[in-house]
Amino acid sequence: MTARSGVLRSPWTAVIAAGFLFLLLFPVASDDTYYQNMIMLSMVFAIGAVGLNVITGYAGYVSLGQGAFLGLGAYTAGILSNDVGSNPFVWMPVAGLVGVVVAGFLGVVAMRARGTAFVILTIALLFLVQIIATNWDSLTNGTSGISLPLPSWSVDYQNWPFYYTFMALLGASLLMSWWIRRSKFGMGLIAIREDEDKAATVGVNTPIYKIFGFVASAVFVSMAGAVYGYYIGFTDPSGMFNILLSVQIILSLLLGGRATLWGPVLGAFIVEPLNEISNNEFGGGNARLLIFGGLLALVVLLMPRGIVPTGERWLRALRTRGKAGLVGERLDGRIELQERAPAPAPSEAAAEAGPLLEVKGLEKRFGGLRAVDGSTFAVPEGSITALIGPNGSGKTTVFNLIDGTMTANAGEVWFAGRRIDRLRPWRRAHLGLGRTFQITRLFRQMTVLENVVAPLRSFRLRQLAAGAVSGHEAERAQELLDFVGMRKYRDQPAFELSFGQQKLVELAQLLMLDPKLIMLDEPAGGINPTLLERIGETIRELNSQGKTFLIVEHNMPFVLGLCHPVLVLARGQTIARGTPDEIQEDPKVLDAYLGEDFRLEQPVEA
Amino acid sequence: MTEFIQTLILGLLIGGVYALLASGLTLIFGVMRVINIAHGALLILGAFLTYSLWTATGLDPLAAILITSPAMLAFGWVLYVATVGRIRSAPVGASVLLTFGLALVFEGVMGLIWGNTSHSVRPEYFNTSFNIGQVFLPKGQVYGGALAVVVLGGLYAILNYTWLGRAIRASAVNPQGAELVGVNVGAVAALTFAIGVASAGAGGSIVSVLYPFLPGSHYQWIARLLGIIVLGGMGSLPGAALGALALGVAETMTVTYISPAWATAVPYVFVIVVLLLRPQGLMGSKLREDVATA
Repeated sequence: MTARSGVLRSPWTAVIAAGFLFLLLFPVASDDTYYQNMIMLSMVFAIGAVGLNVITGYAGYVSLGQGAFLGLGAYTAGILSNDVGSNPFVWMPVAGLVGVVVAGFLGVVAMRARGTAFVILTIALLFLVQIIATNWDSLTNGTSGISLPLPSWSVDYQNWPFYYTFMALLGASLLMSWWIRRSKFGMGLIAIREDEDKAATVGVNTPIYKIFGFVASAVFVSMAGAVYGYYIGFTDPSGMFNILLSVQIILSLLLGGRATLWGPVLGAFIVEPLNEISNNEFGGGNARLLIFGGLLALVVLLMPRGIVPTGERWLRALRTRGKAGLVGERLDGRIELQERAPAPAPSEAAAEAGPLLEVKGLEKRFGGLRAVDGSTFAVPEGSITALIGPNGSGKTTVFNLIDGTMTANAGEVWFAGRRIDRLRPWRRAHLGLGRTFQITRLFRQMTVLENVVAPLRSFRLRQLAAGAVSGHEAERAQELLDFVGMRKYRDQPAFELSFGQQKLVELAQLLMLDPKLIMLDEPAGGINPTLLERIGETIRELNSQGKTFLIVEHNMPFVLGLCHPVLVLARGQTIARGTPDEIQEDPKVLDAYLGEDFRLEQPVEA
Repeated sequence: MTEFIQTLILGLLIGGVYALLASGLTLIFGVMRVINIAHGALLILGAFLTYSLWTATGLDPLAAILITSPAMLAFGWVLYVATVGRIRSAPVGASVLLTFGLALVFEGVMGLIWGNTSHSVRPEYFNTSFNIGQVFLPKGQVYGGALAVVVLGGLYAILNYTWLGRAIRASAVNPQGAELVGVNVGAVAALTFAIGVASAGAGGSIVSVLYPFLPGSHYQWIARLLGIIVLGGMGSLPGAALGALALGVAETMTVTYISPAWATAVPYVFVIVVLLLRPQGLMGSKLREDVATA
């Protein structure tokens, strides 16, 4: 499914066109100010919710502070139009800029605050801004608030300038949301939502993505805030920074549907009328709290996806009823691109080549536990090197230190002649370092194809705007899926695949980075023998094309038939290095890992 | 100098009350990774219950703890089973939104029952102080702080010396492992949540003597408590205690030396500064995430 057809040909098209015309013509056709007011406020909250969707829907960062930007915009317009002069509309871009600056700051703090810590941060931001607006008397006139100028146009035009400005801002927000969803930028945000650490290891510069995401989420709502302040004519701390505004925005988003284009708009146009009813019929106050709070709790409990996704699933279920899925199909052991000449076993020469990766005195402590304790080893360029050792010997931690998921307490990591242990994970990925995880970590809600195109081999601003799945990148991804025999599954969501299939897709994803060094964490774990054979072949073939491998594995026949040299890790230290034969004879290794009676009958041809 | 000592002691006393309130919040987070945003509203509910008991029977508000805590324990258990327990496997944000929704509902209900006006509980010792030299310590603050420390001590004793406490700590560190050795993690979570809510009830009784309150006060309280557990390290009980004392002192110092208007900003500044400089907080540890995602 491409984004274009998603917009133009979805079953919603007619509804959306009708809605657009209705909004466009309503103020001309009717001068009922009650409904005009309701529609305008719905549009304000829709702008807020569409913006919030960028960070909360796409990137998965829940914010309870979105309302703060509305207030910031209103205050900016109010202060500037009073102190400097001219019409508040003129100050709308400045309001947008103020929102951008504050959102950028939020993004900087959020570099290190995830999940619940981030939600707390957004609440803190909202209340802090409120306190500043209350206490900074000379600028904001404290609790008394600021009156904005009266509209300067003839009463014949009613509220049209407000109305159509809100409509234009809503249109702009939707255009932005649509564009983000189909660009590399949006794909990166979704990757962050699905698994932020993994996103970093496949080359996504996560802090920059998040900062841009926060900025995008704040810009239009801040501008709308300026107009909103002008429209209601007055701004004060308790009204403008009321947390219920934020609640209304997030409730609109949740109810309509996160990570959808139209969900936030639909939600806003449901929640604002409810808000009006609670104010007019039940006297606001406590009734409003009960309605908002109760609805929020009920949506989370009963319909966490929201209306649009739930509706779409329901429609899809109707359409595909009775058709068997592709997922359970047996993997054809013969899916091979072409007859491959058996790849040569790694030569002695490869094992003695210069190092591509060097680890020197690496240390990692968890509290008192030394998971990695001065480990030193080298991976020769062009080799298939194995890293074996008992459970808990520090193998996965070594991987995490090499790819930057964790920072070492001491020691150095050198890659292709360059020291990399202080670089961030995505920089290491850009240099040519790729790894898989012991338990596969695909982006679960993305399709197989999207997973494979998600990795980024470099970071350039221009690239953010590129299409998410496009051009030769998509072709390359198809080739890689062919290579691992997963082409048939390209449009399946990743979470529907079996564990073994996920491993293959993760390998294809990794190859998209075109890494020099491929680190595999237990490629044979939980894999059936046919598939295992194919993974072994794939590794050899890639190796013959010049890829270097570092493999953690417990399956000794697999390791000893494939790898040379073999490194042995025990208690966080590299205790041995040698050919498979030497390792099997080494008393230290037999003692620490393999056991006295270990002897492989014959190395298996993998 | 006298002013400084008096401010410091008052800060530590109120910090003790904060510690009790924050402990329940951080305990719940530690065991089930849920930030209970309704914690502030529940503590205000405890304060209103105390108020009703006091006006109806004249019961001393601090003695009311013996009634509010068990009542809130039961309420917390019901709340868990009916709501929070149902979304245990949902993403982190879900529980925040759910408990936030609950907080609004409680605020609305309290507004309907008690009205949206400021209430306070004033036992006869309300306006009297202990005078030590030139240092004046209001009796309410002293009794409240001391009582909070006693309740908190009881909580620590339960966690450290009982089977339930071990089960709670085991569930916090490794739920799968705890399940394997025979801990019913679901039941432990329900009980932990209930204990957390009970501590909010107890804290609410103490708060009713120290501050005026209305249903809408819960925002300020939850913000304060969130600031404390972020500072202390989310999920760490000693961290919460330390963070609470630090916040108590920082607030009273701000009131005395800067201005009462800015004292409310202190918790928010804590949150932002801690998340910028040391996101794991004072006593928190970074979790190893790569193996826990299965």
